[in-house]
Amino acid sequence: MPCVTWNCRATRAMGVEILWKNLESVMNRLILVVNLTVLLSLNYTLTAWIPRVYWKAAHWAQGLKGRMLKTKVAPSLAGLARPDKNKSNMSSSELPRKEANVLKGHEGAVLAARFNSDGNYCLSCGKDRTIRLWNPHRGIHIKNYKSHGREVRDVHVTPDNSKLCSCGGDRQIFYWDVSTGRVIRKFRGHDGEVNAVKFNEYASVVVSAGYDRSLRAWDCRSHSTEPIQIIDSFLDTVMSVCLTKTEIIGGSVDGTVRTFDIRIGREISDDLGQPVNCISMSNDGNCILASCLDSSIRLLDRSTGELLQEYKGHACKSYKMDCCLTNSDAHVIGGSEDGSIFFWDLVDASVVSKFRAHSSVVTSVSYHPKDNCMITSSVDGSVRVWKT
Amino acid sequence: MDSDEEDYVFFGTPIEREEEITNRRKKAAAEASGNLRALPPWKQEVRDEEGRRRFHGAFTGGFSAGYFNTVGTKEGWAPQSFTSSRKNRAEVKQQSIFNFLDEDEKAELEGTLGTSSQFDTFGFTAAEHARKQADKEQKQRPSAIPGPVPDELVLPASESIGVKLLLKMGWRHGRAINDSRASSLYDARREARKALLAFASEDAKAPCPADEPVEEPESFTVQPSDDDTRSSQSLPAFVCNPKQDLHGLGYDPFKHAPEFREKKRLHLLNDKQRGDRKTMSIKDSLFGSKSGKAAPGFGIGALEEYDAEDEDIYAAGYDFEETCIEDDEEPSRLGIESKQPSRLSIESKQKVVARDQGVLPGFKVASVSDYQLERFDPPVIPKDFVPHHKFPGPLETLKKLDVPSPPEVPPPDDSNLKLLIEGVAKLVARCGKLFEDLSRKKNQSNPLFSFLSGGNGHDYYERRLWEEHQKFGDQAKLLLDGKLSPSTQKMTAESRGKLLGEKPLERSSRETTTSSVASGEFQLQFNLSDTFKKPDSFSKLPEVAKPFKDDPAKQERFEQFLKEKYEGGLRSTGYTAASNMSEAARAREKLDFEAAAEAIEKGKRGKESMVPTQPLDFLASGMQFTSGGLEQVENSHAEDLVTKKMYPRREEFQWRPSPILCKRFDLIDPFMGKPPPAPRARSKIDSLLFIPDSVKVAKPEEVAITNRDVPAAQTGAQMTIEDVAEQEIEIVAENVERPVDLYKAIFSDDSDDDVEDLNTKKAQDPEKKTEVATTALNRLIAGDFLESLGKELGFEVPPDTPYSTNKANDLRIETPNSDSGNAKLSTGTYLNPGNETAQDGDSQKSKSIPVRSGGYNSGKHTVGLLNVSGKVNEDKFAQEDKKVKSPSSRRRNWSSSSSSEDERSRKHSKRHRYRSSDSYSDPSSDDREHYCSRSKGKRERSSREKSSRSRKHSKDHKHRSRDSPSRSHRGSEREHSEARKEKRKRRD
Repeated sequence: MPCVTWNCRATRAMGVEILWKNLESVMNRLILVVNLTVLLSLNYTLTAWIPRVYWKAAHWAQGLKGRMLKTKVAPSLAGLARPDKNKSNMSSSELPRKEANVLKGHEGAVLAARFNSDGNYCLSCGKDRTIRLWNPHRGIHIKNYKSHGREVRDVHVTPDNSKLCSCGGDRQIFYWDVSTGRVIRKFRGHDGEVNAVKFNEYASVVVSAGYDRSLRAWDCRSHSTEPIQIIDSFLDTVMSVCLTKTEIIGGSVDGTVRTFDIRIGREISDDLGQPVNCISMSNDGNCILASCLDSSIRLLDRSTGELLQEYKGHACKSYKMDCCLTNSDAHVIGGSEDGSIFFWDLVDASVVSKFRAHSSVVTSVSYHPKDNCMITSSVDGSVRVWKT
Repeated sequence: MDSDEEDYVFFGTPIEREEEITNRRKKAAAEASGNLRALPPWKQEVRDEEGRRRFHGAFTGGFSAGYFNTVGTKEGWAPQSFTSSRKNRAEVKQQSIFNFLDEDEKAELEGTLGTSSQFDTFGFTAAEHARKQADKEQKQRPSAIPGPVPDELVLPASESIGVKLLLKMGWRHGRAINDSRASSLYDARREARKALLAFASEDAKAPCPADEPVEEPESFTVQPSDDDTRSSQSLPAFVCNPKQDLHGLGYDPFKHAPEFREKKRLHLLNDKQRGDRKTMSIKDSLFGSKSGKAAPGFGIGALEEYDAEDEDIYAAGYDFEETCIEDDEEPSRLGIESKQPSRLSIESKQKVVARDQGVLPGFKVASVSDYQLERFDPPVIPKDFVPHHKFPGPLETLKKLDVPSPPEVPPPDDSNLKLLIEGVAKLVARCGKLFEDLSRKKNQSNPLFSFLSGGNGHDYYERRLWEEHQKFGDQAKLLLDGKLSPSTQKMTAESRGKLLGEKPLERSSRETTTSSVASGEFQLQFNLSDTFKKPDSFSKLPEVAKPFKDDPAKQERFEQFLKEKYEGGLRSTGYTAASNMSEAARAREKLDFEAAAEAIEKGKRGKESMVPTQPLDFLASGMQFTSGGLEQVENSHAEDLVTKKMYPRREEFQWRPSPILCKRFDLIDPFMGKPPPAPRARSKIDSLLFIPDSVKVAKPEEVAITNRDVPAAQTGAQMTIEDVAEQEIEIVAENVERPVDLYKAIFSDDSDDDVEDLNTKKAQDPEKKTEVATTALNRLIAGDFLESLGKELGFEVPPDTPYSTNKANDLRIETPNSDSGNAKLSTGTYLNPGNETAQDGDSQKSKSIPVRSGGYNSGKHTVGLLNVSGKVNEDKFAQEDKKVKSPSSRRRNWSSSSSSEDERSRKHSKRHRYRSSDSYSDPSSDDREHYCSRSKGKRERSSREKSSRSRKHSKDHKHRSRDSPSRSHRGSEREHSEARKEKRKRRD
């Protein structure tokens, strides 16, 4: 591909490449044009490039969507960023950096904070063995869920917001009814603390990641408390789990991100060489963001296993800390052990913004599914809501 | 009450106040009526007429038979009746804890050792000391009045009026105000009287002498507890700290966190800069927990143990590692109560802790210990013992030390020669006569070295040698204590080492001497050349080339290395100089040294033609030796690059989701109908060796191929083992299996309900019936499918003939066996052993090697073989199968090759044989199609049964599938399968 010869910065080229991959609508094409003009105005020599663009457009129109777009210069940020709509819209000034609310109530460290599926509420859990339901937008504490015997490490809500699952140091997974606050079921079986828990799309299965080096799937439909699947191919603690419609993805301290494809019965192990602290899916599902304990966050292409980008600058060496992408997939958000929040540009991995959000380790970040809103939790016992 | 009820007429139902009463009554009534009599005696309860339980078990209240559920006294909890104190004044009894204790408890209580202030003189002084301390502090406290008012003007009241009053009344510091003794009344009166007297006389010190007898032993009966309480109740010395903060009155910010108060106070102290402090950890005294870092605020349940998981890894704000603590305070525990900032107690505790680290609690380390380690003098070494190895070389040169010096000889004109001579002399002086001999021997032919053997410059050499010896002898004399006779004062390796500051060498590797000596003369020359290069530094140690100038220690080691390498002295076994280095570092360094030495050598060789007058500078050749550390860094950089290239690394494995998981995810089980997967191959070698593990045959094309092949196979045994092996190899190349079974994908219906009555007339039990039905159905469908597929692929598909009665026979025959095994096995109706092999290979993780493409060939092969070798017995087997009900003996025969197999696998093999023998009776091609469909049915069945079947069993199943072809084939094939079996065993 001619990108190599372009006299423009690789990052820009990458951006355009990404853009190209996602030209899925006429609107996007228009945006492309806009971007082209932007690029031209930036005095890049695009002489060889523009015809190529049109060539690509032609091919794209023929339905060869993005296949030829894998170039050497542009690492296949496969369908990563949305067509620059977000990039143009979502300037760094629109990152949620203003503190809108502080949710106080947890006694002791808050270990996780999660938006619910529509982003109207959020859940937090912590060392005080409670799970709390908040309205982050109004800063109201709504409900307490107490049943855990030890600290609660992770919590997740079903897409219909009717059920919760949580896990923690008591080695159990609790399956809650949101409205009544009662525990519907407890799943025991992990031999160690449970680090993360997630519902699948239909809220029929809870998958948990445990210190016992296993992922376990629990059936919410039947009354069995036995796991319906134990995945024990990890070599060390599993720290985090993500689910797609057909896959279970786990990140482990053994440095691997393993994808278990249920549909084809395949395990794909991506060895990152560094303990993986947290994994997070991009919103388009094509990439995995893996926070590693060498103070870097890595972006992996899921289809090829390529390392697309590394995001550095924060401190993440010993705590379980979350990372996530903004809902537009334009920025990567990560907490730091000094209480800062980092925003990286997805493509060129530059620190777009950085501010001190908490006085202590930021354990969790969660981004609103639609709005520019973010919640962070910290060891200092507070959950903070950030808006633009 | 019952009688009452009879007498009166009640309207409505009476309100029952207490449920228990009625319960009791009911129970009593029931008992009366004999309902409870039916209970066994150990379940019956003894109750009184009210229905109350009178006898309790140990865990339900104890024995209370005597005084009904009371404290066990006749009075019970009844209050003591009032008695006039006028009549019996003395009997006014203060209740003490002893009134409520049992005899044994009293004994226990009295038996315990406790401190009594009666004998505690030190406690009092300690309290006094604490009080003084507090006073002192009070004086040092900040001025109460802010601003520029001098402290001398406004003196804070050191003692409040209350204290003054109390003192007047005879109270002393450190004494409790209210004595709760039995004679308190009396004492109080007496004190009051005294106080009155004191006030009257206005004499402050009057009460003091009279104070002592106050503690009269009249109240001795209650002494122990009372005394203790009093001593503990002695008033704390209260320090009035001026309020300096902005908190509200009475507000204590450190109420729930006293440790911070301590910290803050220490901060203040620090600000005031007084006294010397030492850092100390107060962690232990603050937290009793073993980790010392518990999460603030939450403990864990009483029943849960506190383990490492509960440590507060976040350590929110608690860090007591470094805390300043005043040094000049003595331990004192008395008189400090909670009101005072509990500084003293904490500190004293800390002190105890700090001082007695590793000492049993309650003990302290003695400053002077009686016990002294007994040391024995080393054995006396005989005077004449010389612990040195004597070199065989002559000692003349050394003896010459005391010999009068050779006359001063002017150095030879040839400066090169002069340098050479000086260098050799130096070396000889350092290394001993041996060196001279050696170099003489080596350089006999070299005219340059003629001075060694009395040639040109010998005189000068002698002179130089003597000078050097003098020099070294002086040093040696200084070091060795000079008592040694000159004859023993020869340069040994050790003394040389001492001179050079080496560690003493070990004398174990003598052979290296010879080897290094023999290693070549140019080395020696080179070594000499070293000494030549710096003519001006002769007085000093010879300067070797310094490739490691930046690291003197390393340079030293390098020199040492060179010496060891070239000088032919005793070499240390270990690398001596740097014993603190790690093994790897040492090895690396050694390599560096080797390289450096080589470079030096090269440089030297290049200049060999010339006389080595100039200092050797191997750096001129462009080689630079950086220190090892730097190199390491570079290496690590390189490694980083490598790892960056290496990661992320992607691998793929087979993974089998459980069917229920697939169901819950609303996906089709990719392994539907397949047996449990094999454990993942551990390594490449594994996967190469045991590839059949991951090879699964599921492609319909292949099935079709089978279909095509099998008829051909029937004509004869075309398939040779070589072919099988070949194909095996081909299979080996393929690692990743394709789990998606087309059949399964197409015919995957979980519902087995639709029972179509095909060939089920003779099925014996309903369970079997459904299975057979589905089998048949699936076979039909699959047969159709296969046919069409085969047509599509251009294969000739034999017509599907209706299923014959063979199968019925099979079923019937197999039934007797089914009771011993599981249903699945018994109902497996396989016509063709070869096909079954293939199918088994399919379904059983395809363990058998010739499965994939060859698998069908092996099926064919099987058939062919059967046609050749097995045909003879074909009919017989078929008949036998029909006849034999308990075929254990035959089974033995068949499975003799696998005598090591366990019974179960034998059974399997037997069963398989049944099936295979069935096929003998009808080896027609259409049955193969049936097989296909049936195998599919079986697969489905297996998928259904998978959950209920243990993994082990499935493994056994595997055995069966593995073993079956081997047994039904001739010997070589059996060998082959045996080998495979062995492999499998190894893997297992």
